Amino acid sequence: MHPTRDLFHGKFPDVGKGTLAYGVAMKKVIRWLTVLLVLAMSLTGCVTHYPADPHGTLDRVTDGVLRVGATHDEPFVSVEGSEPAGDEVRLVEEFADTLGARIEWTTASEEHLVTEMEHGQLDLLIGGMTMDTEWQKKVGLTRPYKETVNAYGETEKHVMAVVNGENAFLLELDQFLQSSGGQS
Amino acid sequence: MKRMASPADDEHLPDEISRAVKKAVRLEWATLGVLSVTVVLVFLVMGNSQAMKTAWIEDMLSMVPPIAFLIGVRVTRKPANAKHPFGYHRAIGIAHLVAGTALFVMGGYLIVDALIKLITVEHPTIGGINLFGHTIWLGWLMILVLLVTGIPPVILGRMKLKLAEPLHNKVLYADADMNKADWMTSFAAIVGIAGIGLGLWWADAAAAIVIATSIVKDGATNLSAAVSGLMDARPTTVDNKKPHPLISDAQEFLRNLDWVHAATVRLRDEGQVFQIEGFVIPASLELATPERLEAAENALLEQDWKIRDVVIAPVTHLPNVVESD
Repeated sequence: MHPTRDLFHGKFPDVGKGTLAYGVAMKKVIRWLTVLLVLAMSLTGCVTHYPADPHGTLDRVTDGVLRVGATHDEPFVSVEGSEPAGDEVRLVEEFADTLGARIEWTTASEEHLVTEMEHGQLDLLIGGMTMDTEWQKKVGLTRPYKETVNAYGETEKHVMAVVNGENAFLLELDQFLQSSGGQS
Repeated sequence: MKRMASPADDEHLPDEISRAVKKAVRLEWATLGVLSVTVVLVFLVMGNSQAMKTAWIEDMLSMVPPIAFLIGVRVTRKPANAKHPFGYHRAIGIAHLVAGTALFVMGGYLIVDALIKLITVEHPTIGGINLFGHTIWLGWLMILVLLVTGIPPVILGRMKLKLAEPLHNKVLYADADMNKADWMTSFAAIVGIAGIGLGLWWADAAAAIVIATSIVKDGATNLSAAVSGLMDARPTTVDNKKPHPLISDAQEFLRNLDWVHAATVRLRDEGQVFQIEGFVIPASLELATPERLEAAENALLEQDWKIRDVVIAPVTHLPNVVESD
């Protein structure tokens, strides 16, 4: 084997495996990796959550306002009364309670709500959405919290939607939905 | 005058070479097995990470060179016949070309794909996953899978690299070299996912670009090697760095024949074996008897298993394209 075709891809041309120089280079690499790791860990220490929200949704809604968009789709969401009602509305209310958040409702069509969410005007979307929703590129979906079978015999895996990339908030919601969502 | 190793000689490689071929075949099957498991595992945890998606496609593409090698080895074993008078050795070159093209095109596509994500400021979403009744961040599982699947290819790559040189098989070499660098792909993807965790939405796409760039580089290396092989460029060592030593060896051999005044050779790299065309100016014309030419051809064939096909022509002046100093 050619000695330079090594782990370091010719970066250290005189470093053959098993030589003293190889050991020194290896130590250098390990030292750099350690520095990187420590740096990453101290960065982790700076953020309150890991994973973190690029836009800080979880921190903002905790003891604050949770802006929820809802589309009519019974039995999950009903917007016929003065206040939204239904299974998913109840779940969101319970979730808001765990965060000490007050809910601010917006009711509109899904398309309208997704646009609002893309512009950062909403934190959470509900309305009987499933894993296969057409909006999955524009919004972030939770894990399915419930399965139902529709009139055509197809299984539907129900999800809620959050702003793309708000991973701390999403994980918080996922943990809530997986621990209590299934039972309601 | 044309001399070839007899068809049966295909199976009569020197012992250590045929052992090396068998070992390489086993290693390539092992690589395919490892890659299949990797592709399934990575797919299961891939989520919305662009870096992970890129690493996944790279894992799938990494199957092309081993498949090319396995097909190449099988096809080149077929003896030459009237329809294929030069045998089937070029199959390796074709396989190499296909592998290089696949890598190059796919790498380019993945760079564009990741750039679009950066330009459109797409924030990758990675939520929770249920594991033994707990909901944990999927990113941790991704990192774990990348760590576990990143190691075996490196080991296999190093083992294959040792065989590529004696076998003079460039597909095997390129494949081994890619495997050996595989840990960098896993490392880049891990950095990307860890970056998402820190709230750095761009880290993922940036890592994807790093991985895709390495795929393009692999593709370009393979393509240029395959093309120069198919263009009958001067044979080189497997790493494409130096002219192959057999060129000067064959030339020296012919020049040192006592009835030869001047000689030169040109070689074709047929993938795993060489074909030699020799040109000799005899000291005097009547010395270039068929018997002497045949003896020289046979001697060259016996010099190295890589020499599969020799033609020596007596000439009055040497072709000036090949160095005849």
